[in-house]
Amino acid sequence: MQSGKSLFNYPFSHIYVEDSVRDMELTRSILARFSKSVVIPINHYKDVFNRSRQSFGLQKSSQALILAKNTGESIFPGAPVCQDFGYDHFYYASSIRNCIFDCEYCFLKGMYGSGNIVVFVNLEDTFAELEALLAKHPVYLCVSYDTDLIALESLTGFTARWAEFTKNHEDLTIEIRTKSFRKDIYDRIEPCDRVIFAYTISPDEIIEKHEKRTAALTERLEAAAYAMKKGFPVRLCFDPVIYCENWKDSYLSMFDQVQKHIDTHQLKDVSIGSFRIPADYIKKLRKDFPDSPICQFPYENRNGVFQYSAALQAEMEDTLVTKLQSLVPKEKIYRIDVDE
Amino acid sequence: MFYFVCALYAEAKPLISALSLRKDAFSCPYDTYFSEDSSVVLTISGMGPIAGAAASSYLLTRFGFRSEKDFLINFGSCAGKDPGLYLINKITDNASGRTFYPDMLYDLSDCGLPSSSEKALVTVPRVVSSLEDPESLYEMEASGIFQAASHVLPPHRMLFLKYVSDAGVENAKAVTAEYLSSCSEKYLPAVLSVLKKLEEACEEKPSIDEELLLSTSYALHLSETLRFELRQLFMYANASGKNMEKILNDLDADGKLDVSSKREGKVVLDAIRQKLI
Ligand code: SF4
Repeated sequence: MQSGKSLFNYPFSHIYVEDSVRDMELTRSILARFSKSVVIPINHYKDVFNRSRQSFGLQKSSQALILAKNTGESIFPGAPVCQDFGYDHFYYASSIRNCIFDCEYCFLKGMYGSGNIVVFVNLEDTFAELEALLAKHPVYLCVSYDTDLIALESLTGFTARWAEFTKNHEDLTIEIRTKSFRKDIYDRIEPCDRVIFAYTISPDEIIEKHEKRTAALTERLEAAAYAMKKGFPVRLCFDPVIYCENWKDSYLSMFDQVQKHIDTHQLKDVSIGSFRIPADYIKKLRKDFPDSPICQFPYENRNGVFQYSAALQAEMEDTLVTKLQSLVPKEKIYRIDVDE
Repeated sequence: MFYFVCALYAEAKPLISALSLRKDAFSCPYDTYFSEDSSVVLTISGMGPIAGAAASSYLLTRFGFRSEKDFLINFGSCAGKDPGLYLINKITDNASGRTFYPDMLYDLSDCGLPSSSEKALVTVPRVVSSLEDPESLYEMEASGIFQAASHVLPPHRMLFLKYVSDAGVENAKAVTAEYLSSCSEKYLPAVLSVLKKLEEACEEKPSIDEELLLSTSYALHLSETLRFELRQLFMYANASGKNMEKILNDLDADGKLDVSSKREGKVVLDAIRQKLI
């Protein structure tokens, strides 16, 4: 290296802005926060986000931000590999694509060709789309599906806006999933029993090795406990359960931490599911991340979904469920079964 | 390896001499220059987007491009408001209106290219006499080079370095070869320091022992599908720091690799999997 300078530009050193959103309030407020960044005007976000042969991995080292208008659909039916928690009309909303965290196993690496982040600044259009759907039936919506919304809250304010919108639409229930440590959001929004904050919980060993830039286990649990204290419904997601050589010890000591920080009987519910990924996503992940043990694990392909062998999966999940049953009433434990 | 495309010999001349490049003795459609260790190849494309595209295709197909190690750099002059060397973050093809975006991943500020040196560029079919947009740069090859190269190159492996030679001229001949060379010479230290910095940007990917994989597949009488499974086990062993050679040696020492059918081979494959997980 020639100097102490990093090889890569700092995150959001480059912000691509669609001409159509240049004058929108949110665009202006985001740009004001990054006055040193290079702003590159673009016609359409796909001109940048959908370029061929991008390196998702390298772009994660120097993530660019793309501010755009979503002119197509932004609410989609939930994927079969995701838990629907018993709701009939399960959807996800895509108001931000990609995430500032960098989990080794993230399905977004298989879903998108780019590691850059797109923020669709016209959230009000998503709300309008959702209102049309709500006119037909109640909706259960994951709003932090292809990003971590809370991690980007200071940039977008979307979590607060979703919470507000949900409060005013009684047929809507939303889940906001996160691996963030941030608690300040709970001081700024009012609790609502249909705004569920869902914390992905993993052992510290998995977090350190495979969930880069995310909050440590105790930080996540402290944030979850704070949300509960403030009256928000909280879900813990032991999902994905990741195999490692000493998985039993790692996961069981993780439960000790959970018990230490959380009054588990106050949880809305919990979910548990081993790592699984659609076949076409794992193909891309394996090609792009040859040195990732999670991507290269010899999974079984069952019905187009790559999963641990049925025996390993059952052993891991049964162990965890047994433990969970001592902490949470049985009916609050949702187990994912993609083979069904 | 660095692949340079320059429109004119006059632009390339200082690079050719600083890097001691030698002219390719074979008859080539384009004048091409090499460094002794083949770490740099430079081609003179001629002027215009089609010339730029054709020369880039020639360069990349003739010499083969390793997308995890190599860079394509388009270096040359352009028209612009303020003199200086610029790193291009957006290329607009004036004829088609299409835009192209090289990835701006690398921090080249210590090479004399801070973020303030980034600019948008417009590729035009002929020399411009004035600047339609004074904030943009104007030249004649970049969009062609980007389009041709992007069939094989990722956008973070292309760099467009342009220096301002004029603010638009009526006649291309008004900018002399000597003047262009002197401009190139001026920005040579920055270009050389970019090369030095980007040497770090080599994405070495781990590879598996293909010979061992092949010999094991044969020894175990594996079908194509099972060979694929064995390859995945090799990949996993590599990624998780497990020694596949030792696992196979241990199985061999126990006489377990001595199989005579595909069915027996599959049993061994399962044994390898169990040892890995
Ligand atoms: S937090 Fe979720 S969305 Fe973000 S990188 Fe990790 S798995 Fe992907």
